[in-house]
Amino acid sequence: MPMTPDAVRRANLRALFAALLAAALFVAALSLPIYEFSATVFSKKSGNTFVGDEKYQAARAEVEAAAAERAAQTGAAPEIIETVTERTNSKGEKTSMVAFEVRETMRRTGWQFIASGLGCGRVLLAALICVLAALALLGAGLAGAMDVDWPALPAAKRVPRRLAGALGLAALGLIPVFMMCCNLDFSRQIKLAADGFPRPGVEALLEKLDGFLYGGTAGGDVLKLMGGVGYRAAWPLWALMALLAAFVFSAIIAADGRPGRALQRGALYAFIIALCALILYPYYVMFITGFRSNAETTDMYFQYLLPTKWVWSNLSDIINRGVPRYLLNSLLLSTGATIIALACGIPAAYAMARMRFRGKKAFLGFVIMSQMFSPVVLLVGISRLMNALHLNDSVLGLMLINAAFNQAFAIWLLRGTFVSISSEMEQAAHIDGCNTVTAMLRVLLPMAAPGIVTTLIFVFINAWNEYTISTVLISTAANKPITVGITQFSSFNMIEWQYLFAAALVATVPVVILFMCIEKHLAAGLTAGGVKG
Amino acid sequence: MKKLTALLLALLLALGCCAAFAEGDEITLDVIICQYGPNTNDWFLGTGMNGTNFVDKFEAENPGIKLNLEVVSWNDVYTEVSTRISNNNAPDILNIDVFADYAAEGLLLPVSDYCPEDLFSDFFPQFIEQSVIDGTVWAVPDLASARAMWVNTDILAEVGVEIPKTWAELEDVSQAIVDFYDGEVYPYGMDMTTDEGQAAFAYFVWNNGGGFVDEEGKLCVNTDKNVEAIEFAIGLVNKGYTNPNPATQTRYDLQDMFGAGKLAMVVAPNQLPTYLADKDYNVNYVSAPLPVNGDGVTPASVGVMDRVMAFRDDEYPDQAARNEAIGKFLKFFYDPENYVGWVSMEGFLPAVNSSVAALVESDPSFEAWLDVLGGCQFYPTADPKWNDTKQGVIDVEQKALTGGDVRTLLDELQAKLEG
Amino acid sequence: MNSIPIRHKWEPYLWLLPSLLLMSIFVVFPIGIVFKLSMSDISKAGIVGSWNSFANFRAVFRDPAFGTVMMNTAVWVVSVVGLSTLLGFITAMVLNQKFLGRKVARSIVVFPWATSLVIQASVWNYIIKGEYGNLNNVLLNLGILRGAVNWRATYQIEFAWECGVGIFVTIPFVAFTVLAGLQSIDEAYYEAATVDGAGFWKKLRHVTIPLVRPSLTVCTVLNIIYVFNSFPIIYTITKGAPANKTDTMVTFLYMRAFYDNQKGAATAMSVIGFAILCVCAGAYMVISMRKEER
Repeated sequence: MPMTPDAVRRANLRALFAALLAAALFVAALSLPIYEFSATVFSKKSGNTFVGDEKYQAARAEVEAAAAERAAQTGAAPEIIETVTERTNSKGEKTSMVAFEVRETMRRTGWQFIASGLGCGRVLLAALICVLAALALLGAGLAGAMDVDWPALPAAKRVPRRLAGALGLAALGLIPVFMMCCNLDFSRQIKLAADGFPRPGVEALLEKLDGFLYGGTAGGDVLKLMGGVGYRAAWPLWALMALLAAFVFSAIIAADGRPGRALQRGALYAFIIALCALILYPYYVMFITGFRSNAETTDMYFQYLLPTKWVWSNLSDIINRGVPRYLLNSLLLSTGATIIALACGIPAAYAMARMRFRGKKAFLGFVIMSQMFSPVVLLVGISRLMNALHLNDSVLGLMLINAAFNQAFAIWLLRGTFVSISSEMEQAAHIDGCNTVTAMLRVLLPMAAPGIVTTLIFVFINAWNEYTISTVLISTAANKPITVGITQFSSFNMIEWQYLFAAALVATVPVVILFMCIEKHLAAGLTAGGVKG
Repeated sequence: MKKLTALLLALLLALGCCAAFAEGDEITLDVIICQYGPNTNDWFLGTGMNGTNFVDKFEAENPGIKLNLEVVSWNDVYTEVSTRISNNNAPDILNIDVFADYAAEGLLLPVSDYCPEDLFSDFFPQFIEQSVIDGTVWAVPDLASARAMWVNTDILAEVGVEIPKTWAELEDVSQAIVDFYDGEVYPYGMDMTTDEGQAAFAYFVWNNGGGFVDEEGKLCVNTDKNVEAIEFAIGLVNKGYTNPNPATQTRYDLQDMFGAGKLAMVVAPNQLPTYLADKDYNVNYVSAPLPVNGDGVTPASVGVMDRVMAFRDDEYPDQAARNEAIGKFLKFFYDPENYVGWVSMEGFLPAVNSSVAALVESDPSFEAWLDVLGGCQFYPTADPKWNDTKQGVIDVEQKALTGGDVRTLLDELQAKLEG
Repeated sequence: MNSIPIRHKWEPYLWLLPSLLLMSIFVVFPIGIVFKLSMSDISKAGIVGSWNSFANFRAVFRDPAFGTVMMNTAVWVVSVVGLSTLLGFITAMVLNQKFLGRKVARSIVVFPWATSLVIQASVWNYIIKGEYGNLNNVLLNLGILRGAVNWRATYQIEFAWECGVGIFVTIPFVAFTVLAGLQSIDEAYYEAATVDGAGFWKKLRHVTIPLVRPSLTVCTVLNIIYVFNSFPIIYTITKGAPANKTDTMVTFLYMRAFYDNQKGAATAMSVIGFAILCVCAGAYMVISMRKEER
């Protein structure tokens, strides 16, 4: 909907005002305490102790001394928390455990974070710079956002708009990153280091943290102290996020002038980003885990988001354990199944699409019925049949089975494609003296090529991914397809996650690429399939 | 000249064909081996046997016998074997844990038909006893493992408790660990999964003086002792003394938790150290007898044994030759030169005397385990209803976990087993 | 009509013959075998005996676990098919909009479809492992969680996860079928509706849904069948534990056949499942085709 120049100017002014306000509030919010710490400055646990006994007195004295020392250093008043767990054991003896903690509460503002030199401080600084830069672009009178669906603008105006929008979004995204960095900086990394899993760079971090939290007084004890740190984001942090969101939306409104629409577009993008993230997540896991070391796949302290060392040799290990052979079998099996399925399916679909005959509905019913038994359910029957045909343990047998189980889908898709193509050309060919077969081959098939390619890839992928029948039918290792081959890595007596996922990745990537190639035709092929004929 | 060479070549070729044809009555044995670990496949089919593999070496040493050997994962082996049997396509030689069903159906050859006398006398007699039905030996043991309770000494020391010897102590220690670590460390590892839940049943009933069978050797799962034992085990779970998901956390999950220091005590086989070392875990631990209920009960250690058996093939024309070939296979397999490598590769315990000396030499800790193995109790796998019993007790455990009454469940199972 | 002339009456059947043969031999014949086995005694080792006059069926209905399993199957099919249809529909509506990166988004949505179920199930099984799973890893390292969470605390939660994975892998199929339907809708309908002053919901109800229904019907029927027969997800994640509380019919009968060696009962159950599917899918098809005709 085109806007008058006047309306655009007004919208821009409105947005600029909102953005300026948001930025000012952002800067102000940084001066508020955005994080609250409740740090355990000293802790001690004592098992098999009783309140009042010698062991208890000794521990208590130690704790009190630590608290006094702390108070002398910082002038704060740390509190001592004592937890006693008592119980009676089976012999009727009383036992108890005493845990002491010396706690101190402190608050830190955004500016302190930025000054601290910690990783999270830098992120906060980056967010601030993004906001200011975006504001500068807006301020140049070029308010805007990064969406495509905006009124046409000359390129000179579009680029700064998109840049401002991108910077605003980046600032918005940086707040969660800030929280993540905080966590890594002053808790997880420290806790892991205290538990005996020091990470590289932890020394430098400890020094900075000492300065940030304890004013440099903790010295070598930071590790111990930070082990018990508790913290939470205070409300100004959430306010920051809200302000940034307001900033981004005002930028979008500036370009369009319709707040409702800006919200709608925002929701659209949020949905798409969340959906894509969710869908990609298992693949990320496959990739990350496939190249971890064996020990790291079952790391129960969750030390590293990414592998510490990318073990590319996992790939060569699975290659040595037969994966290329399995891939070859899968390729053979899927290709064969596809050829057979199409060779049988194209004539049937053609008849269904182009000819009138009695029993058409009966055949359709038959096709759907054939889908109702899962291969799992038919395992016993299938394996008996294959045995009788001497096709047990052969790739050929699997080809035929897969082709048969994919007939329904193939016929459904192909018939739809054929129906959607007008038969005039074929009829003309008939009049020219071609027979039905030639007419189909020469005239119809070239026109139906996209639909046929879609079907072909469908069948290929289904055959590639089939698992249950192959498990039972194939017993020789040399004949196993990849889906069955990878189960050697997840036998119930030991799962080798890294090999399982490396092999899964190898098995998945070609198919995913294939599917991405036909994505364009996918919808078209399915449209045709859904058409009634 | 060229023609002459060609003629000669043709002649040679023809002769070669004849020779091949003459060898045509060679015998092919279908063998199924279970995958015990990451090295099994390599040892039998790859290059894991000092650069060669079992099949190649066997075929080189035994001309006229071909092996069609297949390594199958434990996940798939039951599916595969039962499918093959119902297709009349049973393997010639099978390595698996159960045998009674096959023997009851008359599918197996008695061991005496094919096993050479000197090899037969080499097996530990207490192992052979486990494969006897009505006086006939139907299978030979291929390897064994013994289980013990492994204890993380660092955790116990930090909490300030001793290794529990009785169930009461086990509860005390567990409670102390829960208190001390605030739930970050699980005291006791419980595996009641569909894969191996019968083991947990054995750990508790045997150490309460109960068992799977009564004094006459008949299956009897609903004795008071058994009920008490399982109620105790379920109680451990409900009190929060175990890993959180006993029905889906397998022994390997538990071993990983133990290795990571998240689990204080776990019952596991003697190969646990190998497992932990392979995965670079760094914990201090010792093995101890399983806790018992009360002072009067001797701790029972649990032995697990797998078997090798030969299937009947009545259609094969020359039964004697087939039996001899199977005998040669066994002879070759149990030859210390090969067998020691096989057993030590995954850290198992041997089933034949002749390899003991070599194994003890390679790893002195074997000796202690062999003693433990001597006092082990085994599952009553010779009973044709063992498979039902096994699935039944797992079902009972899992139902009890979701709130069922142990006595009712065991009574029902007993009725089903008798009916 | 798009038909072409036929020279002989039997010609169409000749065209159908290869497909018919293939399916008869490799699908119908095994079905026959299963029907026969469902009424025969089968020994534990798998040897087929004589006709036993429905004893297998009686055994299935007497099995106390059967009720639980049927209940689970119902929950599984309804929740997975229902939710994946709803979510798939929303996804398709979104993917049909114009936005930056639409091509990339569409390609990504295809991923789960292109991946073997065994692999998907294994990955999710790893993700939700409480002790070392990747979900905890990511959430802890991103600072969203403080301590590791046991994502599979009870069997109900585990079953919910399984349904979730089922929905996850089914969405792309629904989304693309619906998308195909959406793309074939003529813009003119919407323009007309806008002129009539129809809002988003009105357009959805009176234009989009009726026009997408044909594709949706076929897709839902296929989904009911696929989901009912889906095996790897549950088998990989829980194997039906504890005590069949998370089993659906297909995994249950697999366990009966290959763990408990009760192939007779298992084949009888396949036949029961077949009957249920025929009724459900058939009824759905008839109902929606009638609606279409109206």
